[in-house]
Amino acid sequence: MSDANPVVLVVDDEVQIRRFLRAGLELDGFTVQDAETGNDALHWATLKPPDLVILDLGLPDMDGGEVLERLRAWSSVPLIVLSVRSNEAEKVRLLENGADDYVVKPFGMAELLARAHAALRRRVQASSGEPVVKAGPLSIDLAARLVTINGERVTLTPKEYKLLQILAQHAGNVVTHQFLLKEVWGSPHLHDTHYLRIFVRKLRQKIEADPTQPRILLTELGVGYRLVVPESANQAAVAN
Amino acid sequence: MIGWDRVRRELRGSAIALVMVAATTVVTYVLTQSLEVRRGSVIYLLPVLLAGWHLGLIPALIAAVAGVLWSGYFFFSPYYSFYLARPNEIINLLLFMVVAVVTSHLANSMKQQTEIARKREKETSDLYAFSRRLAAASSARQIYLAIEEHLANLVQRNVILFGAGGGPKPEQAGLSERLRSAIADVQQGRTLSTTVDDGAGDVWLVRRVSEKTADFGVIAIDLGSVPPQALAEIRQRVDGVLADAAATLEHLDVAHALNEAKMRSEAELLREALIGSVSHELRTPLASILGAATVLSKSPALANDERLSSLAGVVRDESERLNNDIQNLLDATRISSAQIRPRQEWIEPQDIVNSALERRRRRIAGHNITLNMDSNLPLIYVDAILVEQAFVQIVDNAAKYSPPGSSIEVAAKRNGHAVVLSVTDQGVGLTADEHAQLGKRFFRGARHAATTSGSGLGLWIAKAFVGANGGTIEAESAGADRGTTMAIHLPYALPSSQPEVGPDE
Repeated sequence: MSDANPVVLVVDDEVQIRRFLRAGLELDGFTVQDAETGNDALHWATLKPPDLVILDLGLPDMDGGEVLERLRAWSSVPLIVLSVRSNEAEKVRLLENGADDYVVKPFGMAELLARAHAALRRRVQASSGEPVVKAGPLSIDLAARLVTINGERVTLTPKEYKLLQILAQHAGNVVTHQFLLKEVWGSPHLHDTHYLRIFVRKLRQKIEADPTQPRILLTELGVGYRLVVPESANQAAVAN
Repeated sequence: MIGWDRVRRELRGSAIALVMVAATTVVTYVLTQSLEVRRGSVIYLLPVLLAGWHLGLIPALIAAVAGVLWSGYFFFSPYYSFYLARPNEIINLLLFMVVAVVTSHLANSMKQQTEIARKREKETSDLYAFSRRLAAASSARQIYLAIEEHLANLVQRNVILFGAGGGPKPEQAGLSERLRSAIADVQQGRTLSTTVDDGAGDVWLVRRVSEKTADFGVIAIDLGSVPPQALAEIRQRVDGVLADAAATLEHLDVAHALNEAKMRSEAELLREALIGSVSHELRTPLASILGAATVLSKSPALANDERLSSLAGVVRDESERLNNDIQNLLDATRISSAQIRPRQEWIEPQDIVNSALERRRRRIAGHNITLNMDSNLPLIYVDAILVEQAFVQIVDNAAKYSPPGSSIEVAAKRNGHAVVLSVTDQGVGLTADEHAQLGKRFFRGARHAATTSGSGLGLWIAKAFVGANGGTIEAESAGADRGTTMAIHLPYALPSSQPEVGPDE
């Protein structure tokens, strides 16, 4: 079975962080490859392409952002960034540069695993061509452009659907405001966050049981939105 | 009262005047013999002018009289006689005497003015040297030395400084009883300035260096035997000198204070840099501890043992709490160094509440949470991260200061032109005194200081964060043990300026 184990490349210069990440990831069925430096990380990423990268930003030899940039030049491997709090602008920049998601230090293992699985699954789904994304009672058929809740069809306006579609394509991972605005409204509206707020409110009224306490379409303050898929929701529930 | 000096000077002058007249006579004689000049009496004005200019009034008058006599001798009939008969000669005599008076007077006043000018120039250059010394002085000692020397130069007598400069004590300076008591009077502020006769015939001026404060000491100046009318002028000059010096002393004091302030702010910066770096150094191991605890709690070895897995939970919860405290320290540092720059954007108010509750899910799990949010609140234009952090703080406080199992109501409502995010608990409440002090930096209610841990920073930070977004935090409580409502009031734009979106195709 070991061949089937997804390989995760853990890039962090703190030995204690690597230790618990290794333990947590191995318990969850990953095969772990450590890297202490940016160069080390790039070396391992080419030598033995991983299925997932977990990247700390504070590396001794180069900025984590640079590792991401150089990796993204040739690889689309799912990548989770380990970030520090209160720097939303940096998170957004890294997400725009191709990071799939982030967790904020200090973090619990469950949170990281939920992000990691979501990122992995997205790649699997993209390559397998599976058109249906499920998020709790919500089901989004990307091929048929059909949205249902508990089997009942939900009528969405074109922009509402487009919004939901993009979130579904990244199900489980955060999608930045800017990305959503660009995809749905086009580049001139990159900073019209209020468009998003208003359409998300409408969307929640159609897909959430209680729009004031959303369970499916969550807000990541200062960064973007996340469509919660069952696995990540379950993972979080188990850990907490 | 004319002194002998003066008499001798006048006699000498008169003699020189007569010699000049004699010389003129010789020249005149030659002229009359060779050139047949008959109208040359004017030539005798020359010695009068010279005598008036150089020798003074009396020699000039003597020159005038002698000149008129000699000109009568040569130019007026009867020739070669000193007899003045013609009106012309009388007029000449008067004219010469007027010239003598005017010239000598002019010369005299000119000399006086030159003298005054020279004296002024010296005073100015002394003052200039003095003010340069003041400007260059970097310590009070140097200023006192400059004052002493300058005043001593001015009055040409003894000057003694007492007080701030570390000068002698009046008792030790060998001064008379009367002078000592005058100095004591000024030192103790009974008078600013006084003059006193020291009993040995010398008048002393005693005054405070600065008129504003006694801090700069007292100065005693020996003026010698000055006439009363000269005293006023000397006092004025001393006043001038001391005003400059006192101003410099005050500046130096200000400079000193500034220096201290600079040192203080550097200490503040250092403190904040220290907090920043310590926080970072603490957080890195915390991340390992927290992460490791969450791995442990999930591990098969612990998952089946309730006691052990709960221990892992303790490690996780406590490290989260510690992390929070560190975050508070960092935030407090940001606030006191004025580094909060809100990044405002339109945001759904409920998103802030939900996000805060999600972050505190475990902390409030032991309480009975009820949510009461309006479904159609207006969007607000704030820095969501800052407001969320403030809301997290008041949620924390509610959980901390109310018993487990009690209910906490979280609400998001519209109230006039504000959106109000509130947390109501059934906890310890607030006394009037606590209410008044709430939110002050490091304030902790005396009732809980011993039993509940906390830094007294949280609410202060929350207030700063909400304030940066134009909002306020208000607390309400019916009193001790009767629960508390903490509410964040955030202004929102009027409906007309609420954002709109284009039509959805």
